[in-house]
Amino acid sequence: MKRETDYGHPIKAVYTPKDIEGLDYERDLGDPGIYPYTRGYYPNGYRSRLWTQRMTAGLGSSVETNRVLKEYRDIGQRGGMCVICDRSFAIPIDSDHPIGRKEAGVLGWPGSSLLEFEELMDGIPMTGQSVTLLSTCASGALQLAYIVAYAEKTGVNLSEIHGAGMSYPFANCFGQSDNQPLDLNVKLFLDTSEYAIRNKIKMRSAILSQHFQEAGGNNAQALAMEMAMLNELCGLLVKDRGLDFDDVAALPYELVSVGIRFFEEIAKIRALRRMWAKLAKEKFKAKKEKSCQLLIAVHTSGRTMTYQQPLNNIVRTAIETLAGAITGCTAIDNATLDNAHAEPSPLAARMSLNTQYIVADETGVTDVVDPLAGSYYVEYLTNKVEEEAYKIWNKIEDLGGMIAAVKKGYIQEMVREAMLERYREVQSGDRLVIGVNKLAVPPEEDFEIPIKEVKAEDSEKIARRMEEWKKTRNMGLVVESLSQLYEDAKKEDRYNLMPSIIEAVKAYATAGEIMGVIRRARGLSYDPFNMIDCPFSFE
Amino acid sequence: MDRRKKIKVIISMIGLDDHIVGGVVVSSILRDAGMEVVYLGTYQTPEMIVQAAIQENVDVIGISSHGSNYSQIMELMGLLRKKDMKDILVICGGTIPKQQIPKLKEKGVAQVFTPQSTSESIVNYIVSNVRGAEGGLNK
Repeated sequence: MKRETDYGHPIKAVYTPKDIEGLDYERDLGDPGIYPYTRGYYPNGYRSRLWTQRMTAGLGSSVETNRVLKEYRDIGQRGGMCVICDRSFAIPIDSDHPIGRKEAGVLGWPGSSLLEFEELMDGIPMTGQSVTLLSTCASGALQLAYIVAYAEKTGVNLSEIHGAGMSYPFANCFGQSDNQPLDLNVKLFLDTSEYAIRNKIKMRSAILSQHFQEAGGNNAQALAMEMAMLNELCGLLVKDRGLDFDDVAALPYELVSVGIRFFEEIAKIRALRRMWAKLAKEKFKAKKEKSCQLLIAVHTSGRTMTYQQPLNNIVRTAIETLAGAITGCTAIDNATLDNAHAEPSPLAARMSLNTQYIVADETGVTDVVDPLAGSYYVEYLTNKVEEEAYKIWNKIEDLGGMIAAVKKGYIQEMVREAMLERYREVQSGDRLVIGVNKLAVPPEEDFEIPIKEVKAEDSEKIARRMEEWKKTRNMGLVVESLSQLYEDAKKEDRYNLMPSIIEAVKAYATAGEIMGVIRRARGLSYDPFNMIDCPFSFE
Repeated sequence: MDRRKKIKVIISMIGLDDHIVGGVVVSSILRDAGMEVVYLGTYQTPEMIVQAAIQENVDVIGISSHGSNYSQIMELMGLLRKKDMKDILVICGGTIPKQQIPKLKEKGVAQVFTPQSTSESIVNYIVSNVRGAEGGLNK
């Protein structure tokens, strides 16, 4: 068995003051609430505010997902809701698209129109809890438009809504793809971010290392990736869109994947807080202290959930949740025990939420802020992962930054190598995984767990509904709003498309139509899969 | 095994599935084992996979799947049957729930490899069941 960090640094048997020689408390750590925020943002930690305990929902129809959200509320999820989109809306194409219809409602909610969002949110408060909608960069533009349109329609004060709905433009490299070209995604990211910031909408944009890490990336790489993305995207918002950094800093949230390497996961998040604080203050010259505090949520790693002996995953989730809690994060959502089989069953969802409550209410972890600070080992690991991450980040900057590194294929190759390395480690026994390469049992002796499935007929039902509903729309309004969008999308990249996207959403133009029209205006095919022709003609 | 030419395998995701880890890893395992791998990547429809199988004259189709309603794998099997390509060995791998495995096999999927299957188990299965192998597909 290897005794090294997940990024290949050897681990010794004992750590002593010598290993953190030169550590300066004020400069490198600071009290909780004091720059560089290694120890967290709040002097009293969870005593002032507990992390948001939430579960991700999304499977089958919007009505079905709405029902699950209400169930989660009933079992105690009140601080925030979190919904993930299905495969068709991720692109986004419509639920009645020739491919889209086969996967409508698979892995998420089929959010391809405002109607779906209305059904999703029916009877669920838009304020008083955070509203988090996970998706891709392209569909994030639609989600922001849904929030604005729905608030207006239901008379909710837009400024009272908070959460996250937009997303970074690089996920296509990390297996979370929208099949849209990088330059279009970068534009959509900048448009959505700028619109939210200028209109003081408290919806954040996901700029996250989680997808990268779930694909196989190690902790040092994940930190480097996160910093390289933040640096480039915030820089573009300041330079290209003329925004004030202190406004931009309130936009991103990072979802960190917390795996099973307990101490290393904690070190990673402590290092991330310090690295962002320095970037914000030293490079971007932040004027507000708040701008030096990157919002960090934790997702306990789906990658560590094994197919074999799935009940073992309850134990893994508990350890990872404790690690996440020790770091003083803002929110935690858990992978579930059935993660390697299917979407969460009601039993698995309840177990995950219970796990969070056990950690919060029974262990005492909420009593003391950053309880591992000063541990020779944890401080050493925090320094080490930071040092390794700076090396990788510098390499990305040498290539011209994140966008350039993606264009050169450098990031994709890094992901590919990481995927293979993770597999090799388990195959060779260098990393032990209980139930997989140690204490394995024959498949027929494995525990049976309940499985929640989406059937082909469920997807077809969602598709047919969209097909029928589309015919009932006021097509005059749809076409009028889309021709405005088409005209705007032909203008220079800095021309913000959000106002015309919002108008089209309000007219019940669908996600596939809206993205198709933007694609046409940019000289791309209406349908990214070239299966349907553009039903509109604007020229 | 007495074979003169390399075993040729397609590895592909199907439909909108964009989780590529399994497909990338298995491609590398099969290449290391001396097979020729045609990696189709993401966004492949059943028709596209069949077309590629004909063009490349492959012995094996491997579908990597992460979360699905499995309708497109069923479609793929139907197309292969219709085109009388029954001697192509079809295997699937990924986060496929146990309950789904007999349904896939009923449609002609030869074997399903669940997460963390060993390299040897995948390679050995292909080598002993590919067309031309002793006990392999010879229809």
